[in-house]
Amino acid sequence: MSAVPAVQVRDLHVRAGGLTAVRGVSFTIPAGGRMGLVGESGSGKTLTALSLMGLLPVGLRAQGEILHDGVDVTKLSDAQLSRRRGRTLSMVFQDPLSALNPVRRVGHQIASVIRRHKGVGSNEAGQQALSLVQQMRLPRPERIMHAYPHELSGGQRQRVMIAMALACYPQLIIADEPTTALDVTVQKQVLRLLNEAVSERGCGLLMITHDLPIVAAMCETVAVMYAGRIVEMGPVSEVFTAPRHPYTRGLLDSQPTMDNIAIDGSSRLPSIPGMVPPLDGLPAGCAFHPRCPRADDRCRREAPMLDGGGRRAACWHPLEGTLTGTNAA
Amino acid sequence: MLLHYVLRRLAFFIGAMFIASVLIFVLIRAAGGNVAAVVLGRDASPEAINALATEYGLDRPWAVQYLDWITGMMGGDLGQSFRTGESVADLVVSRLPISVPLAGAGLVLAILIAIPAGTYAARNAGRSSGTLIALISQIGIAVPVFWAGVLLSLLFGVQLGWLPTGGWTPWNVSVLGAIQSLVLPVLALGLVMAASLSRYVRTAVLDVMNQDYVRTARATGMSQTRALLTVGLPNAALPIVTFLGLLIAELIGGTVIIETVFSLPGLSRMILSNVAAREVIVVQSTVMLIIVFVMFVNLVVDLLYGLLDPRIRVAG
Amino acid sequence: MPQADTSNQNATVPEASPHRRRRRRISNASLLVGLALTSVFFIIALVSFFYVPHDPNMPDVRNRLLPFGSPGHLFGTDVLGRDIASQLMVGAQTSLLVGVGGAAIALVLGTIAGLAAASSGKLVDETIMRGADVLLSIPGIVTALVLAATIGSGAGTTILALTAFFTPSFTRVIRSAALTVLEENYITAARLYGRDRIFILARHVVPNIAGVMIVQFTLYFAVGILVESSLSYLGVGVSRPSMSWGLILNEAQQQVGVSSPLAMWPGLAIVLVVLGLNLLGDGLRDVLDPKLNGRRS
Repeated sequence: MSAVPAVQVRDLHVRAGGLTAVRGVSFTIPAGGRMGLVGESGSGKTLTALSLMGLLPVGLRAQGEILHDGVDVTKLSDAQLSRRRGRTLSMVFQDPLSALNPVRRVGHQIASVIRRHKGVGSNEAGQQALSLVQQMRLPRPERIMHAYPHELSGGQRQRVMIAMALACYPQLIIADEPTTALDVTVQKQVLRLLNEAVSERGCGLLMITHDLPIVAAMCETVAVMYAGRIVEMGPVSEVFTAPRHPYTRGLLDSQPTMDNIAIDGSSRLPSIPGMVPPLDGLPAGCAFHPRCPRADDRCRREAPMLDGGGRRAACWHPLEGTLTGTNAA
Repeated sequence: MLLHYVLRRLAFFIGAMFIASVLIFVLIRAAGGNVAAVVLGRDASPEAINALATEYGLDRPWAVQYLDWITGMMGGDLGQSFRTGESVADLVVSRLPISVPLAGAGLVLAILIAIPAGTYAARNAGRSSGTLIALISQIGIAVPVFWAGVLLSLLFGVQLGWLPTGGWTPWNVSVLGAIQSLVLPVLALGLVMAASLSRYVRTAVLDVMNQDYVRTARATGMSQTRALLTVGLPNAALPIVTFLGLLIAELIGGTVIIETVFSLPGLSRMILSNVAAREVIVVQSTVMLIIVFVMFVNLVVDLLYGLLDPRIRVAG
Repeated sequence: MPQADTSNQNATVPEASPHRRRRRRISNASLLVGLALTSVFFIIALVSFFYVPHDPNMPDVRNRLLPFGSPGHLFGTDVLGRDIASQLMVGAQTSLLVGVGGAAIALVLGTIAGLAAASSGKLVDETIMRGADVLLSIPGIVTALVLAATIGSGAGTTILALTAFFTPSFTRVIRSAALTVLEENYITAARLYGRDRIFILARHVVPNIAGVMIVQFTLYFAVGILVESSLSYLGVGVSRPSMSWGLILNEAQQQVGVSSPLAMWPGLAIVLVVLGLNLLGDGLRDVLDPKLNGRRS
């Protein structure tokens, strides 16, 4: 693996009309590195991911710089991007049932990615697809190859999706809530598989989730998003044990663990008061201040920027010290 | 499974035709009262009415008449006109050289406009170019076909004098003349149909573009056009079947109206004059022919999609 | 024959509230323009019941074919000297009557059939829906022609034809909207409380699909006006002494030829009203259709 980062995002904005959904996001995932991107729905995680892929919905535009494979993705034409999608950069989506083409056999779908990017014949592509399916530890691979998506289980489908994403040894895989649509019992298996497959190939990973334990288990670094901005970023071990941003702290506190789920209901799961602000009604200053216990006048006036260093937080009054308890999973 | 699906569709096709034919037959007999009396008018003597009724078998029970009509239709005998005695089949066939090219060319024109325009509008939804196309089609939808015809003949026929404003030159008299008398009707029909169709295409493409599997295809390196055509289209069974229903309904309605605007002696003019003359047998058979045609097209499309979509095959 | 666009115009946009906002601005504009056009139409139609400048059927040989803007005849007169403005006003009556009549009856029938299909067992559901399929494959103009041939033409026949033509479409839309509601958990809860079907349909389903119903009504109202004017133009709709915009156009074309300026006004009137209703329907859809609000990322 070269030392060129898998992706380097600088000051990414996603705009639609007069509104800005992602407001100046920057991060770097080194070659083979794994980063978790966490936040509530609507915080801009998915739009950030789709910007990397160049697949924003019609009407939304990405501005900024996304360096990947030696080029700025935002400056590429769709045709140039198409040659990279699925080859150097690929994505695993949330719901594998709707993400796979219902009218094509699974084997065909995997093989067509290989054919498209490797320029091999259909026999060769079929062989490679079969070997991928085997690597995904799917039972009776030949039969899976001939199955339609609706004939597979949720876990099997997601493995097929992962096989498609890995088919060309990409430099970066984006996994957008890859286990949310799966049964709990299957989630772990799929994650373990994704974990191994990414390690073996040395792919970079951007794991988008609201499930903090997944990030803790699979990622080296984590970025926490709130209202279109990264509010805290750093190594997983540090961010989760000693969060500096009150929002991160709130997220960690509201994760259920065996400790805070009391069976008799005597204890209650803490939650962050208030709601995520709508994009056209962002508060002045720090977007989190209406929900923040530590907010003061300055927070209401000026928006804090991410500070420097390896442990970065965008907060005027960052927390100090380490969490006690087992919340850090 | 596939066989099961085909049989089900066939059974529905036959059942639907049966129901439709009974509906038409009963409607015409029940609402029209004594057919012979209606045809001959108020001043006819009872003897004349009875004679006509006997001649055409109208005095037999309805069930017998119905069976007679249906078996005749299956054998290609569509009955005769009361007044002229002409066979309905001949009447229909003689009008086809006008109606079929008109409807066919109008359809092709509409599709040629609607698919690119609708796709463009979908891809540029939210931008001003896409909104403009959507607005144009929104206005176009509000234009009645006959008014479009009138406006076109005002412009190209009266003002510019390029084309005839109406009338028909038969093919065997002058091919060029026939084409000239069809240009404006086709234009009017095609443009108006294109308005509503392009709107439908826009919705369907927007819908398909936002399907997860199309996004997956794009995320694995497929170009947008290819993803739409090779992944989106085969999955769009329902929209396409609906699209087709819409298309045929629009086409038949539009053709009827446009033939009147441009005084083309086509199939619909024939139906209209027979409606006016209360020629129930002619109306009944011609209308049934149209319905059979529509249902047959629907059947073919249903079957094609059964072949394409594995989910349908499995569901049976 | 034109059809209302029953498909959902608003495809989902993932996590794209700003995009949706923009749509909302556009739809607000279409709501306002639509409301304005529709109101003008309603006012003119309603006024015409009480007052028209001239009897639209009264010939006046001295004032034949007056041009637009003539004193006393703002829109001029036709070949018999009949006042065009009055004809247009009374024509609006017919459009209103037939459009509302056809759409309203079909809405009632379609709602009953759609709710029955959605809330009953498979047999009833299949029977109703296959029946709707059969009716849908009979083109609307064909129905209209058959009815005109049998019971004679007129506003009543046109309404009947529209009803036959619209009801299956309404049934489909209502059924699928009702099915969505019936899947909700609060319906299950209501069932567990022992509420019967009629109560659930009336209390929970209908209020929740009211938005869909209003939108569909508006769009089919517009289609009804188009169909009515087309049939009258063909001579199988309303005829004098009743008045229709299609009929004015037909007369203008037959008596004066296509170059008649008389052909402009009824056409323009149809376009404006139908456009207004369609814009109104689209605008209402974005405001009322609950499926579109709160769609998550």
